[in-house]
Amino acid sequence: MKRIPFLIVSILILMIWVSPAYVTEKSSYKIGVNLEFTGPWAEVTKTVRNAMVLEVERINKTGGIDGHPLELLFEDNGFDLGRAAANMTKFTKDKEIIAVVGPFEDNLQATTRSIAEREKITNIIICPSNPMVRALKQKWAFNIAQSDIIVSQKLVDLSLARKYKKALVFHAAHPLAQSLAEYYKKFGEEKGMKVIVSKETHKPTDIDMTPQLIKLKPVIEKEKIDAFYACTAGPPGPIVCKNLKTLGIKIPILGTHAFGFGFIIALGGEAMEGVEFGAGKPVVPDQLDENDPVRPVILDFSKRFMERYGVEIDQIAGHAHDTISLIYEALKQCQRKVTRAAFRDALENTKGLKNCHGIYNYSPTDHDGLSKKDMVFIRIEGGKFKRMKFPGFE
Amino acid sequence: MNPLTYIPQLFSSGITIGAIYALVALGFVTISRASQIINFAQGEFVMLGGVITFFLLKVVNLPYPLAALVAIMIVILIGFMMHLSVIYPLRKASILILLMATLGASIFLSSTSGLIFGTLPKALPSFSGEQPLQIGEISVLPQSVWVLVSTFILLIFLYLLSHRTLLGKAMEASSTDPLGADLLGISRSLMVFLAFGVSAGVGAFAGILITPIFFTSYSSGTLLGLKGFVAAVLGGWGKNSGAILGGFVLGMVESLSLAFIPSGYKDAVAFIILLLILYFRPKGILGSPFIDSRRW
Repeated sequence: MKRIPFLIVSILILMIWVSPAYVTEKSSYKIGVNLEFTGPWAEVTKTVRNAMVLEVERINKTGGIDGHPLELLFEDNGFDLGRAAANMTKFTKDKEIIAVVGPFEDNLQATTRSIAEREKITNIIICPSNPMVRALKQKWAFNIAQSDIIVSQKLVDLSLARKYKKALVFHAAHPLAQSLAEYYKKFGEEKGMKVIVSKETHKPTDIDMTPQLIKLKPVIEKEKIDAFYACTAGPPGPIVCKNLKTLGIKIPILGTHAFGFGFIIALGGEAMEGVEFGAGKPVVPDQLDENDPVRPVILDFSKRFMERYGVEIDQIAGHAHDTISLIYEALKQCQRKVTRAAFRDALENTKGLKNCHGIYNYSPTDHDGLSKKDMVFIRIEGGKFKRMKFPGFE
Repeated sequence: MNPLTYIPQLFSSGITIGAIYALVALGFVTISRASQIINFAQGEFVMLGGVITFFLLKVVNLPYPLAALVAIMIVILIGFMMHLSVIYPLRKASILILLMATLGASIFLSSTSGLIFGTLPKALPSFSGEQPLQIGEISVLPQSVWVLVSTFILLIFLYLLSHRTLLGKAMEASSTDPLGADLLGISRSLMVFLAFGVSAGVGAFAGILITPIFFTSYSSGTLLGLKGFVAAVLGGWGKNSGAILGGFVLGMVESLSLAFIPSGYKDAVAFIILLLILYFRPKGILGSPFIDSRRW
């Protein structure tokens, strides 16, 4: 019985502590982040996290959105479909969460996108997604990175600028690479090129592409191929370039936008010299035109990123910046009536937003945002990315 | 297109990868000769060899030969520690449980490597230049020559170790007749301990040899380990010569098969061969001291 006064006092103290009257700040807008923080993407997602944290802290320091701070909730899905789906469900059940960012991997996104569609919550996807899923035109899913369509259009432009008449595509055996190859063939042939898509493919885990390339070598010689398109991502890119060099096949190599990362050059070394591709602007933050509308955004972000983390920005950091910036603008457009539906509509109405990767325009029919104009031509020279310009092609 | 025209080049690419499979298979065989344990962490030793050398070379800035040597030492230590912490406490357990334990160790090693050294793949510089050598119609990387020569030297070393030294004979004795070895005063645990060191060293050596050609990442050990296991079974489980032969045969068949079938099936070839071997000649090409053919 002696303890009752003590209990009452402690309950009172607790009530004061949790009582909203004593909270001076406005409640925060919460965004769930469902990414592969462990597993093969760990390094990439670390960059995403760093860039997001940097941007959110900047926004909160300057007063947030009408005084509401932005808050990120990170969940690791461990490169696992079950955990990705569980995280997504968890986020949707938390009524305070307005939108979910991620995941990266194709099959994981396909799942979270359908959960988002069912539960009516915005799902922002960073990486270009499986074209088959994207074709579903889901109402609640938005893409940040360049789609396979504009990447292929940009590469066709590069091929035309270089006057390549015949190209051979050696693609990886996964949906994104396959659709890049098909779109390249489609757009290339519309412009009068001859594009051969190789029957030989490779897997993202292959460590030696020599056997496939040996089979392609006679094709290259017989058909007088002008350019070899290594339609792949990650380590297979440098492996293909190295193997081509070993086999003594001297042919211009075209790459995908996934070649625009420092580690690709570090892996391939000399073999990467002269490889050309189209990529996002953050690959060459310091080589953009003076009058480029997104130049100030990139330079500012790259300076702050360098100060905080001591590394250069890359395309992924750019995507992360753009994600937060899009979320910030959409929340502002909500005019203090922030609900999941209002946020989605506001995001869909984003027009002309200048970001690292270019100018975002979403519409009910286009959830990809970027266009061909938001990419630049890159050539690897002297172990560095160098921007190229061709009159008439940008 | 006539497939015969590119067979010589496929052949040369098969030999290089075959040498690597052979080295991984040797690691498997070294341990199984001492204890009959199948160590599924063998592929991780290969990965660690490459990744630790990269770390010492690029981050600690050691000279290349020293970095490689230190990396091999570290991996041998890891092999010893794996024996002390995983295998030794379970020495009375059945082979199946030990197999599970090595699988666990393999996952532990690859994840730890991912945490410490990062998940991005790593490439080491070649030992001597990148300019391919032209031999007739075939072009070969200098690094491939290094791989072949080093594999050959290592083979001689291991042959001498197992056939010409008391230590090697003691290792073999403790495997083929554990009771007899015990009676003769051979410490079986010590033999398995040493075998783990040797196979970790061989694995790390293989890792350093291949990282300049095939990039190494934290997860690349698993597939290499499996292929090495297939090679060891293919050649004759438990025989050094079988592991070497099996490695080269597997590398060649994988490479040459591409002349006739689409490349998507490349990895499947290894396992189809394993199935065929298990159906028709379970003791492997050269026969296995562990598998009594009469039982089949």
